[in-house]
Amino acid sequence: MASPAVVELSRWQFAITAVFHMTFPALTVGLSVLLAVVYTVYVRTGNPLYLQIFRFWKKIFAVGFGLGVVAGTVMTFEFGLNWGTYAHAVGPVIGVTIGMEVITAFFLEAGFIGLMLYGDGRIRPRTMALACWMVAFGTLLSTTWILSANSWMQDPVGYRKVDGQFHAEDWVSVLLNPAFAHRFPHMLLAVLISAAWFVGGISAWYLVKNRVTAQPMARRCLSIALGVLGVLMPIQLYVGDGTAVFMGQHQLPKLEAFEGNWKSDNNGYNLLVVPDTERGENRLHVEVPYLGSVIAQDLSGKTNTPGLLQTPPDERPNMWTTFYGFRAMYFTALLMFATAFAGVVLRLRRRLFDSPRFLRWMVWMTPAGIIAITGGWIVAETGRQPWVVYGQLRTADAVSHLSVFEVATTLAGFVLLYVTLLAIWVRYIVRTVKAGPEPLPTGPAAPDVPEALVA
Amino acid sequence: MLEYAAYALALFSLGMYVVLDGYDLGVGMLSLAAGPERRREYGEIVATAWDANESWIILAGVVLWAGLPGAYSVVLPAVYLPLVGMLIAVILRGLGLEMHSAAGGYRRGWALLFGGASLAAAVCQGLVLGAVLTGPRQEGGHFTGGAFDWLSPYSLLCALGLVVVYLLAGAAWLQDKTDGWSRSRTRRTGRALLAATAALAVVLGLLLPGADPQHLRLDEPLRAAAFWLAVAVAVGAGAVAWSGFGRAPDWRPFAAVATLTAAGLLALVALTAPVVVPPASTVHQAASPHSSELFLVLGVGLCMPFVLAYNVYAWRSFRGKYTDPVEQVLPPLRAVPRAPVAPASPSGTVRTVLRRILLVVLGILATALSQDVFGGVAEWIGPLGVTVLAGVALAAWIATDRRDLRSGCFDAEAERTP
Repeated sequence: MASPAVVELSRWQFAITAVFHMTFPALTVGLSVLLAVVYTVYVRTGNPLYLQIFRFWKKIFAVGFGLGVVAGTVMTFEFGLNWGTYAHAVGPVIGVTIGMEVITAFFLEAGFIGLMLYGDGRIRPRTMALACWMVAFGTLLSTTWILSANSWMQDPVGYRKVDGQFHAEDWVSVLLNPAFAHRFPHMLLAVLISAAWFVGGISAWYLVKNRVTAQPMARRCLSIALGVLGVLMPIQLYVGDGTAVFMGQHQLPKLEAFEGNWKSDNNGYNLLVVPDTERGENRLHVEVPYLGSVIAQDLSGKTNTPGLLQTPPDERPNMWTTFYGFRAMYFTALLMFATAFAGVVLRLRRRLFDSPRFLRWMVWMTPAGIIAITGGWIVAETGRQPWVVYGQLRTADAVSHLSVFEVATTLAGFVLLYVTLLAIWVRYIVRTVKAGPEPLPTGPAAPDVPEALVA
Repeated sequence: MLEYAAYALALFSLGMYVVLDGYDLGVGMLSLAAGPERRREYGEIVATAWDANESWIILAGVVLWAGLPGAYSVVLPAVYLPLVGMLIAVILRGLGLEMHSAAGGYRRGWALLFGGASLAAAVCQGLVLGAVLTGPRQEGGHFTGGAFDWLSPYSLLCALGLVVVYLLAGAAWLQDKTDGWSRSRTRRTGRALLAATAALAVVLGLLLPGADPQHLRLDEPLRAAAFWLAVAVAVGAGAVAWSGFGRAPDWRPFAAVATLTAAGLLALVALTAPVVVPPASTVHQAASPHSSELFLVLGVGLCMPFVLAYNVYAWRSFRGKYTDPVEQVLPPLRAVPRAPVAPASPSGTVRTVLRRILLVVLGILATALSQDVFGGVAEWIGPLGVTVLAGVALAAWIATDRRDLRSGCFDAEAERTP
């Protein structure tokens, strides 16, 4: 039996490395799709604007992708490093799923990323376009496998337990598990949306600053970003609501914790709570009356939200992280929805590109998607505690035989490294954005298709 | 039998990693001894492929996890500190490389980080290898040893050995990729490294029976035959590399070094199989159940030809000597005169307020619809409402985008002639 300190430190280490890793795919999956689209448009139309767009976002994508890959490598090994017992128990199920992710998706990305990033001027444009699509396809495929693996841990099905080890009995139900059906579309939309905010926010900044050389690019990218957001935001709210309902049915303690109630006598919606875990009550809570019931589809306002006291104390997740993770995601989602809505209205009224207040607001929304995704994953992971495989394997029983010294030093190392990396990454983005896209000469006539494209 | 296929897959991935990322790390370490100009060039040589090359160790790791969880869950905690050290070094290497490549021009700090982290990663990998060969303490499929069990004279020697092997691969790769100064140096560097590799291989091999707690049974004829065959191939490849350094064709030393490395790995396997974690944990004991092995071997095995095919394709795209890419200047963008934006005609306070109230109500209604609040009234309201909302947004997007495209919104603005 491992010491509680090793469990606690290992949990922190995993949480920090996972959140850090997640911020990169949150951008790069969507960016890879954007890059593939704009490069294809460039090849087909020969319009240099799209090549300018491609080269500009490629700079940010390249570094983000590289950091995401190395941060992801850490996670692959952490399963065995810190969670040896877990690794042994779920290897026959999760190990295989992640193995398929690596061979189908990871290699696809890695194999073509070199061509995509360094191929400009060395390989034919059509090959470049193919490489871009392969990278984009790889990132989407990777999201699929990872969500399958994680969803199985949220709601394990299709297995048999032999000596504490999970043996897959039915691969179809393991891979396409019920939680996956809800969580995969939710995450897929989330990564596309968060990249759209990033692209839209930075484009809006160029318009706010009235950077003349970047105007066509900024307008084009803002148009793409807001178009994507207008379409996807309503769908995302619907899918997210479905995911929450599903979790209420399959992991009730998670719902109890993220709604922030202890007793099951509240029909309101909590905006803010200060939970007291020892006493099992909230020291303070601010709520909108009746809204909880309305969200639970009872418009008469009589339905109460279930509270955490229903769950035995040793099976309760931490309300702090689960509640505020959910609030970070949900409140940001409402802001995103309202902004996307306003964007569509402004565009229809021909005011979008010269509405300084809206554009300045868009700049603030640049990290919105990343914040929401981070909050969502905090709900998903801390809300499942104290289980690592829900209902089957406790996190405290899953840890490796390690000393406090080992985990503490590496945790300190990771924190130090990741804080530095984050600072370098943010500074790199800021510098790249400030430097702007490479200048595009202007000509009077419609551009001919460049010779390189004809050959 | 399937567990042996999984074992073979893990070994194959590991071999691919050692050969491919070996040269990456080697070039990185060699860049420490090169001047600024060379350092930048070395970084660019690695930049096009490190991502793909590094994927092999991830594959080796997960195949081990999925196929032989009993080995994965013992080995990883046993080599906790050096393995985390390697991961951190790999991150720093990626950071140094990407930032250097993205920065344009030579950046001393990033270049040194790339080189130093390459060295640290190679050392940590050697320590891990040494720790595995000397056998972690385990009980019932779980590691039970201490935090520094991996540290032994043998593992330190292994670290030195692996660094030299990677340097050798790096030197061979440089001969294939560079011209001029770097190319002319490979003869001396390559041969010196080859001699060092041979010496260390002999020392490590002779010390292995003492370090490894399992009984190495070279008296079994089949095993001995496989072992000596692999050694013979390695020696042959070494000879080819020796004569190939500094002499055309430039791809020959690397091909020979890759063969040498693979043969060395096979010799080690011939000595130890079927034991995966010394002294006594075998492939059979560490294996996953049949259903998992079948899925893994079929899935990974069927994908492998494709993976190899496009890796070869990507590799061929950059074959030959490294050259800086041709700088492609952007062609000009169409410029159109744009009508000056008409100042928005004020629409009156009452109308503005009314419009805003209406829009806020509409927005709240749209949010409620999207969240399926009316699902209790009738189930179809949610899906239908979302479809309508998304459809309207899509139609508005297409219409307004085409409108702006026609009006020259996405073209450059031509200077208006008075």
